Amino acid sequence: MIADPMIDSRISRPGVPLIDGVEKVTGRARYTVDLDHADALVGRILRSPVGHGEIIRLDVSKARALDGVVAVATGDDCPFTYGVLPVAMNEYPMARERVRYCGEPIAAVAAIDAETADRAISLIELELRRLPAYYTSQEARAPGATLLHDNKLGNLEREVHHEFGNWQDGFATADLVREEKFSCAEVNHAQIEPHACLADYDPITARLTVQSVSQVGYYLHLMLARCLEMDSSRIRVVKPFVGGGFGARVEVLNFEIITALLARAAAGKVLMQLSREETFLTHRARPQSDMTLRIGMRRDGKITACSCEVVQRGGAYAGYGIVTILYAGALLQGLYDIPAIKYDGYRVYTNLPPCGAMRGHGSVDTRHAFECLLDRMARDLGLDPFAVRRANLLHAPTRTLNDLMVNSYGLAECLDRVERASGWRDRIGKLPAGKGLGMACSHYVSGAAKPIHWTGEPHAIVNVRLDFDGGITALTGAADIGQGSSTMVAISVAETLGVALDRIRVIAADSAVTPKDNGAYSSRITFMVGNAAIDAARKLKAILVDAAARKLEARPDDIEVVGEVFRIDSGQQASLPFAEVVKAALVDRGAITVSGTFTCPPESQGGRHKGGAVGSTMGFSYAAQVVEVSIDDATGVVSVDKVWAALDCGHAINPLAVEGQIQGSVWMGMGQAMCEETRYLDGLPGHASFLEYRMPTAAESPPIEVQIVESHDPFGPFGAKEASEGALAGFPPALVNAIANAIDIDIDELPVTPDRIMDALIQRRRQARLTSTLKVAS
Amino acid sequence: MSTSLGELRLVQPSTVKEAVAARFEHPGSRFIAGGTDLIVNMRRGIIRSDLLVDLSGIDELTEITTDGLDVTIGAGVTLAALAHNSEIAGRYRALAQAAEAIAAPGHRVIGTVGGNLCLDTRCIYYNQSEWWRSAHAYCLKNRGDVCHVAPQGKRCHAAFAGDLAPALLVLGAEIDIASAQGVRRIPLSELYVEDGKAHLALADGELLVALHLPLNPPPSGYAKVRLRGAIDFPLAGVAVALAASGPNVNSLRIALTGTNSRPFLVAGTEPFAGRPIDEKLLHELDRLVQKQVQPMRTTIASANYRRIAAAALTRRLVKKLFAEGAA
Amino acid sequence: MHAPGSQPKKRLLRLRLNGRWREDAVAERELLVDYLREVAHLTGVKSGCDGGECGACTVLIDGEAVPSCITLAVRCEGRHIETIESLATQGRLSRLQRAFHEKLGTQCGFCTPGMIMAAAALLRHNATPTESEIRVALSGNLCRCTGYVKIIESVQAAVEKPHDC
Ligand SMILES: Cc1cc2nc3c(=O)[nH]c(=O)nc-3n(C[C@H](O)[C@H](O)[C@H](O)COP(=O)(O)OP(=O)(O)OC[C@H]3O[C@@H](n4cnc5c(N)ncnc54)[C@H](O)[C@@H]3O)c2cc1C
Ligand code: SF4
Ligand code: FES
Ligand code: FES
Repeated sequence: MIADPMIDSRISRPGVPLIDGVEKVTGRARYTVDLDHADALVGRILRSPVGHGEIIRLDVSKARALDGVVAVATGDDCPFTYGVLPVAMNEYPMARERVRYCGEPIAAVAAIDAETADRAISLIELELRRLPAYYTSQEARAPGATLLHDNKLGNLEREVHHEFGNWQDGFATADLVREEKFSCAEVNHAQIEPHACLADYDPITARLTVQSVSQVGYYLHLMLARCLEMDSSRIRVVKPFVGGGFGARVEVLNFEIITALLARAAAGKVLMQLSREETFLTHRARPQSDMTLRIGMRRDGKITACSCEVVQRGGAYAGYGIVTILYAGALLQGLYDIPAIKYDGYRVYTNLPPCGAMRGHGSVDTRHAFECLLDRMARDLGLDPFAVRRANLLHAPTRTLNDLMVNSYGLAECLDRVERASGWRDRIGKLPAGKGLGMACSHYVSGAAKPIHWTGEPHAIVNVRLDFDGGITALTGAADIGQGSSTMVAISVAETLGVALDRIRVIAADSAVTPKDNGAYSSRITFMVGNAAIDAARKLKAILVDAAARKLEARPDDIEVVGEVFRIDSGQQASLPFAEVVKAALVDRGAITVSGTFTCPPESQGGRHKGGAVGSTMGFSYAAQVVEVSIDDATGVVSVDKVWAALDCGHAINPLAVEGQIQGSVWMGMGQAMCEETRYLDGLPGHASFLEYRMPTAAESPPIEVQIVESHDPFGPFGAKEASEGALAGFPPALVNAIANAIDIDIDELPVTPDRIMDALIQRRRQARLTSTLKVAS
Repeated sequence: MSTSLGELRLVQPSTVKEAVAARFEHPGSRFIAGGTDLIVNMRRGIIRSDLLVDLSGIDELTEITTDGLDVTIGAGVTLAALAHNSEIAGRYRALAQAAEAIAAPGHRVIGTVGGNLCLDTRCIYYNQSEWWRSAHAYCLKNRGDVCHVAPQGKRCHAAFAGDLAPALLVLGAEIDIASAQGVRRIPLSELYVEDGKAHLALADGELLVALHLPLNPPPSGYAKVRLRGAIDFPLAGVAVALAASGPNVNSLRIALTGTNSRPFLVAGTEPFAGRPIDEKLLHELDRLVQKQVQPMRTTIASANYRRIAAAALTRRLVKKLFAEGAA
Repeated sequence: MHAPGSQPKKRLLRLRLNGRWREDAVAERELLVDYLREVAHLTGVKSGCDGGECGACTVLIDGEAVPSCITLAVRCEGRHIETIESLATQGRLSRLQRAFHEKLGTQCGFCTPGMIMAAAALLRHNATPTESEIRVALSGNLCRCTGYVKIIESVQAAVEKPHDC
C-alpha cells in the first residue's frame, strides 16, 4: 500500500458550488418522473392488505380483460428472488404463495392511464388465509411462533456472538459497572422525492432500458438480469437526477423489478410513480432496536470492558439485515480504545416492511446507547463528559480488537473544537433552569473495504477522456443523489491535472457509458471513487506531460504544470498552453481514454472472525457535537437552541459540501432524536405521510455551527475521508444528555417526544411525593 | 395507489344565494373554500363528491367589516388575511395567534375561516388512503360500523383540530348560516356536536356566511402543542379570554380544540370571578380542564398527554394574560 | 367511472403562465400540479407527498406561494401562475437562484424549486426579512438534505443583493 502524497489544494477554500447546481436551481434537473413519458403506460401495484397470509387465490382475469389494460404481472411471472447478499435473497418482487407484510406487492398492472390502472387493480380478485402476524421482536421470537421463513428458527435472520479480549476481567477490574436498557424507534429516510421508475422494453431489439431513483445502478442491473432472465448486455440502467437517498435506494427495490416486468410484458414503456404512502411502505430503513448495554469503567473514566446486546426488529425479509446487525456490534469499536468487548446481536423477522440501510447504517442506535451510558457513568464518577471521552482516545495508526484499521484519528481535535466553540467549560452547570448542554461523539466508515459481490475487480474505476475539443470528461458509475459526488470527481480530476474546474465534465451512472460502480453507500464514494479519479487524472497527466516534453524537447521530469500552462520548471520561458499540449498528445494516438482504479487492500478488509468484513474500512470519520436545549416542563416540549458539530473528514475536498453534509446529518439525527418515528397500527403504517412522519421543519430547526477537522488520512484522496454520515449518531445521545443536564431526567427511549418527557416528569413527581410521605411516616 | 381525484365538476357561483341553490340542487355536492382540507381528503378517498361548489368567487364572503356593534368576518376571509389584519391582531389577539399557528404559510394564503370552522374531524384510522382503510377494515366514520379507537362504543371519537374555533368561542362569536330558507344567526358554540362522525350542526347544503365578534372583548390569547413549529395540527389547543379587576378575575373563558370531537367552552369558569389567580385557583382550573377534555387514541401522541398538555397550556395562558392585564 | 381511455369532460382554462397567457382544455378535476407538469411540461414543479404536506409543489398564484397539489387547475382562471422556470431571465439566474447555487442551498435539489418559490414570495412582500421571518416563510417546505441551515443562508445572501433581479 502506498500512501498518497498530500496535494496542495488550489480549490478556493470556502469551496465550490455543485457542478449540477444550476440545473437544480432552475428546475431544469430531470428526476425520474420528469423524463419523457408521453407515450408511457401507467403502472400500479396491488399490495397485501394483511400482515401475514397465504395466497389462496389470485385471479387477474378481469383486470386483464379491462379495456386499456396492456399488461398484468403477478408472482407467477417472476420465480426468482432478489436481494442484497447472495446468501440472503429471500424476497420475490411480487409475493408467491405467501405475503409477509401489509403493503407487500402481489400483482401489478400497466394501463393506458391512471384511472384504468386503478380500476384494473380493483378488479383483481384476491383470497388470503390469514396467518399469525408479529409486529414486535418479542412476539416473533416467542416459543411456538409461526415461522416467517421456514428455515429460520425463532424467526431469527441472524444471531451474532462476538467476544474480543477478556471482558470478564475487564468488568472485574472496573471501579464502576453500570447496565442500562435503551430503545430506539424505527425511522425512515423520508427523502423528499417519492420512489419512481421508468422502464422501456423494445421487443424488436429485445433491449431493456431502466431509469430509476437508484443509488445502486449496478445492483439493479444484476437483479434485473436475474429476475427477468435476460442477458445483462441487453440491459441499460441510467440514473437521472435523484431526489435524495440516505439508504432508501441502496438496495434494489421491488417496484423497480416490477416496472421492468411490466414493460417487457407490455412490450413498451411503463412509468411507475409510487405515492408517498407506498414510498413509506417500501421502507428499508433503520429498524426499531432494543439495546442492553453494560460498561465497566475505572475511576479516571477509562473504559475496562463493554458488553452489548442488540435486538433489531427487521421486518419481513432479509435485505441488508445481516449487515445491519453486524455493523451494530462492529462499530462499538473504532471510536474509543476499549480493551474488551462482548456483543450479542439478534436480527428478527417480523411482519412489517423490511428494514434496510439508513445513514449511519447499523451504528446509530448502539452509539446512542453507548454515549448516553458514558455520560451517566461520568456523572456517577463526578467526571466531565469531555474528560471521559478523552480518557479513552485511540492513537493512530492502530488496529481495533476486531481488526479494523484506524489510520487517522481527529477525535481529540473534534472534542477540543466543540468544547471551545460551545463555551462548554464556562457554561456547563451554570445555565438557567430548564436549559442544558449535552455532548456525544460518533464515527463512521469511509466505504466498506470488502465489496458485497466478490469479483476480483477494482473497488472503484473512473475513466477520463480527452479529445480534440480540449474538454475533459470523467466517466463514473458513482450515483450522485444530492451528496455532490460528481462535483467531488470533477474537483479531484481538476486538482490532479492542474486545470480549471469548468474544463471538466462528469458523466455519471449510465451503464452504457460509465464504468461499473458498486454504488452510493457506506460513504464509499469520496474515498474510493475519489482515489480512482485521482489515479485516472494522474495517468492522463503523464500522457500530457510526455507530449509537452516532446514538444518542448525536455525531459518529462522537468515539466511543470501551473494553471493550464505546461512549462519547463528550470525557469526558461519555454511553455505551452493547454490546447497545444492536447494537440500534441493526440498526434499518433487520437482521442485518449485512461482508466483509474482503486482497491482496498486485503489488510483493510477486517478480521477473520465470521462477519469480520462488516465495519472494515480504510478510514473512519470522527465527530463530536454539543447540543443546547430548552425544556418546557409544563408541556414536555424540547427545543434545540443550537448545535456545535466538529467532524474529522481527513481533508475537505470541497469545504462547502462537507459543511452541508455535516449539517444535514446532524439535523437528520435530530429528527430521529426528537420527533421521527414509524408506528404501525395492526401492521399498517400509522405514519405514511409527512403529517404523521414528523421530520423537522425550518421553523424549529436550530442553527448548526460546523467545525471541519482535517487529520489527513494517509490513504484518502488528498487525505480525505467521509463527511456525511459520521455526525448523525452523535445527535440523539447529545440531546438526551442535554436533557439530563437540564432537568435531571434520563430518557431511555427515542424519539424524545413531549409525551415521553411528560411521563418521566410525572413519574418523578410521583416518586418525590412518595418519598416525602415516607419521610413523614417514618 | 392513486391519489388523484375522481370525476368531478366545479360550479362557481358569485353570490351566497346561488351557492346555496347549487348545493341544494345537487345532493352529494360540497362547498369548497380554500380546499386545503377538502382536496386532501378527496385525494385520500375519505370524502367523495362529484360536484364542488366553489366559494372563492363570492365577494361578500371575503370582507372584514366593522360597524358600531361588532366586527364581521366573512367565511371566505383567508387565514393569512385574518392574521395580518391589524384590527384583529389588536383587539382579538387569540384569533390572530390561532390563525398564525395554522398549518404553514402556503395553506394560510388559501385556507379560509369558514373552511377552518367546518374542518372535518381527524383520526389516525381515518386520515389514511383508501387502500389503508380497506385493508384495516373501514371504521364507523367512513363506510364501516366499528370504531377502532373505542370498539365498544357507538360513536366516532375523531378529534376536531381546527385552531380558530376555540379563539372565537372565548371571544363570544356568533355565526350567520345561510340556507335555502334564508339566514339564521347562532352562537358559534351551537355549531358543534360531540360526535366525530357528525360534528357540525349544519343541515345539508347550509353555508357558513360570516361570523360576528363583539367589539370590546376581554384580552385573549391562544396556544397549541404540537411536535413541530409548523404544519402540525394541535394535539391540544387552548384559547383563554380573561378580564381582571384589580388583583381578581373579573371574567374568564376557556375553550379547547384538538381533544374532543368538537371545540368547546370549558363549563364552570363563572365561579372564578372575583377570585385572585393563585395556586388554588390554578389547581382547580387544572382539574376542571382535565375533567372536561376527552382525548381518545386518535393521534399517535398518547391521549393522556393531550389531556395534561391541555391543562398545562390553560394554566400558563391564564397566568400570562393575568400578568399582562395587571401590568 | 369513465370508460377506459375516454377523456373526462374538459373546460377551457385561460391563465397567465410565467408571464404568457395561454389556453388549455383541462379536466375539472385536474390538480394544478398535474396541469403544470403534464400539460404545460413545467417539470420544475415537483410533487413530494400525497397532498399538501411537503411544499415541493409550491408555485406562485398572483404572487402568493401556494401548494399546487391541493389546488384545482380550473380555479386558476385568469390568474398569474409563476413557476421556477420563470425566474432565470435573459440568461441570468435570479438572485435567489444564484444564492441557492453558490451557498449550497440545494443538495439533491428536489425541494429546491418549491423552496425558492416560497422564498421569492417572501422577498416580494418583505425585502429585508429577519432570520425568523425566513424560517416561518419556509416552514411548509420540507427539505431532507440540508437541515435548512444553508437554505436560510442562501435567502439571507439573496437579501443582501437587492439590486440583482
Ligand atoms: C399539511 C396540513 C396541515 C394543516 N395544519 C392545520 C393546523 O395546524 N390547524 C388547522 O386548523 N388546520 C390545519 N390544516 C387544515 C386546513 O388547511 C385549514 O384548517 C384551513 O383553514 C381549511 O380551510 P379551507 O378554506 O382550505 O377549507 P376547505 O378545504 O375548502 O373546506 C373544509 C371543509 O369545510 C367546508 N366549508 C368550507 N367553507 C365553508 C362554508 N363557508 N360553509 C360551510 N362549509 C364550508 C368544506 O365543504 C369542507 O368540508 C392543515 C392542512 C394541511 C394540508
Ligand atoms: S374515532 Fe373511531 S370511528 Fe372515528 S375515525 Fe377514528 S376509528 Fe373511525
Ligand atoms: S406535493 Fe404539494 S405539498 Fe407535497
Ligand atoms: S435539497 Fe434534497 S430535499 Fe432539499
